[in-house]
Amino acid sequence: MIEFREFLQFLVEFPELLRIPLAEWIDTAMSWLLINWAAAFDVIGDTILAILLNIERSLLWLPWTAIVVLVGVVAWGVMRLWWAGVIMAAFLILIGTFGYWDLAMMTLAIIISAVIISFSLGLPTGIIMARSNRFEAIIKPVLDAMQTMPSFVYLIPALMFFGLGKVPAVFATIIYAVPPVIRLTNVGIRQVPQSVIEAAKAFGANSRQILFEVQIPLAIPSIMVGINQTTMMALAMVVIASMIGARGLGLEVLLAINRIEVGRGFEAGLCIVLLAIMIDRMTHALAARQEKILTSEAKV
Amino acid sequence: MKDNAVSQWGKVGVELSKLLKILTLNVAQATHNLARRKDPIKDKTVSAKGKVRVEVHGLWKIFGSGTEQIIGSELQSESKETILEKTGCVVAVRGVSFKVKQGEFFVIMGLSGSGKSTLIRMLLRLIEPTAGEILIDGEDVCSYNERQLTKLRRHTTSMVFQHFGLLPHRNVIDNVAYGLKVRGVAKKKRYPSAQKVIETVGLKGWESYLPYALSGGMQQRVGLARALATDPEILLMDEPFSGLDPLIRREMQDELLDIQEKVKKTIIFVTHDLHEALKLGNRIAIMRDGGIIQIGTPEEVITAPIDAYVREFVKDATPARVLTARNIMEQPHILLYDWQGPGAALYILTTAKLDNAFLVNRAGKLLGLVTAERLKELIQKNSTEIADALEPDLPTCTPDTVVEDLFPLAASTLYPVPVVDDQGKLNGEIHTSTILVSMIQAKEAEEEEAVKEKEIAA
Repeated sequence: MIEFREFLQFLVEFPELLRIPLAEWIDTAMSWLLINWAAAFDVIGDTILAILLNIERSLLWLPWTAIVVLVGVVAWGVMRLWWAGVIMAAFLILIGTFGYWDLAMMTLAIIISAVIISFSLGLPTGIIMARSNRFEAIIKPVLDAMQTMPSFVYLIPALMFFGLGKVPAVFATIIYAVPPVIRLTNVGIRQVPQSVIEAAKAFGANSRQILFEVQIPLAIPSIMVGINQTTMMALAMVVIASMIGARGLGLEVLLAINRIEVGRGFEAGLCIVLLAIMIDRMTHALAARQEKILTSEAKV
Repeated sequence: MKDNAVSQWGKVGVELSKLLKILTLNVAQATHNLARRKDPIKDKTVSAKGKVRVEVHGLWKIFGSGTEQIIGSELQSESKETILEKTGCVVAVRGVSFKVKQGEFFVIMGLSGSGKSTLIRMLLRLIEPTAGEILIDGEDVCSYNERQLTKLRRHTTSMVFQHFGLLPHRNVIDNVAYGLKVRGVAKKKRYPSAQKVIETVGLKGWESYLPYALSGGMQQRVGLARALATDPEILLMDEPFSGLDPLIRREMQDELLDIQEKVKKTIIFVTHDLHEALKLGNRIAIMRDGGIIQIGTPEEVITAPIDAYVREFVKDATPARVLTARNIMEQPHILLYDWQGPGAALYILTTAKLDNAFLVNRAGKLLGLVTAERLKELIQKNSTEIADALEPDLPTCTPDTVVEDLFPLAASTLYPVPVVDDQGKLNGEIHTSTILVSMIQAKEAEEEEAVKEKEIAA
């Protein structure tokens, strides 16, 4: 009788016996990694920190006028419109007028270093992916998972590996932002017209020559779109990454939320938006220009 | 004196056209008899002289898995459809054999899907053959390793593609120099050689443009220049002119012949266009369903098609039919314009040592023919209207008028026959003598063939 009741209870309430201790496993794996691979994480952490600090220092060291002029000229050159350059420079000045110049530069440093590292990891991964269907089949679901996972989740391993501060912030940002550049490098290389590759082959180009002289140059528009998206995703991580100690505009927004200071939050938020517009427009224009040169060929 | 000559030529023309009709019938008969010749795949037509450059024996390409079972089994001789149904494999090239000599222009012709593009790609192993032998200069390409293959592609051969295959991010000179770059030739050395070839194909001044800025014809010139820049011994061309419009295609064909005259490469040229094949090839191989069904000189293919398929192909290509006004017309030395006065027109005529010329308006539309005699009369009458000097009843023809139909026109006039397009524009002129010369040449070739055929038949 007692057995029967127990059986009934088994059917009604989810039994504790049927529990997969995934959390424990992951924790075990993490601590194993932390103990046995500490040196590796130190190296990774130091590298990230070195890149970040150098960028941050140079951004803060440069006089604001120089940066404004530089951004204006670059925007003008990339977008081929003089007024676009003026607007971009004006955006930057606007950020300064809110009193967020230094914080904006810190945020920018995190984004730039995250994008640089993402690019240097993503490009080779994308290339391998384009050359091996099996590797693509493995990596694709991983990338999907990385992009669908709530971005907060990345904060946890970042914290565990690198503690609080800027390094875990950049690390989490990289994990969140790297998929587009991998994906679009892969797509870009796969989309190179077979006729061009065949011609190169017919002239005796080896696979290294085909990769560097044909496939990568022709994939550049796609890779540029990837960089644009990666940059945008890095920007989206700014506020979240500030929860584990990244200083900058994100922290301002976070503080404003905690203290319910609507004005302050709005100002900092607006600065992030302005940064986003600037980066997006400039990288987008760069991608579009490359695209134009190469696709006009496809029509002929 | 001149009138006399013209009318005599006219008579000759009428005689010739009669002769032509009789001959056409004879040739058709001979053709029919020869059509039953057996064993078309063996290449017996290659001449004994000269060094063999490319030699292909029983070359197969079957796409799909388990292809080894097909070759050598009884399935081998089944049709493409049966093999596809039974094994799921697609036969692209089946048991092809041919030889190409040094300096020969060898054309592979067939409709799309006949396997000709696959065949030419296999010669460089851009597509791996399923079975068979490819010998280039006596060496078996199929047994080459990666390094040997690269060497062959870099130094012995080069290829021109239907879709050009230019590097869109490189300018013209870099594209032309690409083969040299792949070889590892330094920039300083490869640019002068590339420059030379660019001038050969008539692209001087376009060196720094990107391919997209060029028209299709010019892009293919770049493709051709790229192939020539490496100074290959064997030139493979896969429908290089098929994507171009007819006028530019003809121009490119002429240029290719000019270049071939100078450089004497061994050329293997793939096309689906019979006229192109007849114009360019020293020998033509006709492909159907993956196999070569006939190999021969253009004359042999035209006069002795091996079966109904080839006959269908060459039906419209007997010489007199092929030649149209477009092929034999010439550009007039001078033109008179309707705003010129009689005095000026006469001056132009006499300084050009001519006694007649066509009158056109500003748009190039033909108004008629003006003679020096009529102009003199006008000037005596003090008339200023040049239109009054027009010769009445001027016969005209279109660019597509076939040469046979030009005879009656030419016989009915003392002057050149103007070629006028459907917008009334003057495209060129045809002299009676030109028609006759072209006819006589065509006839001579045909007679020779007929004699040869009779010999073969006997």
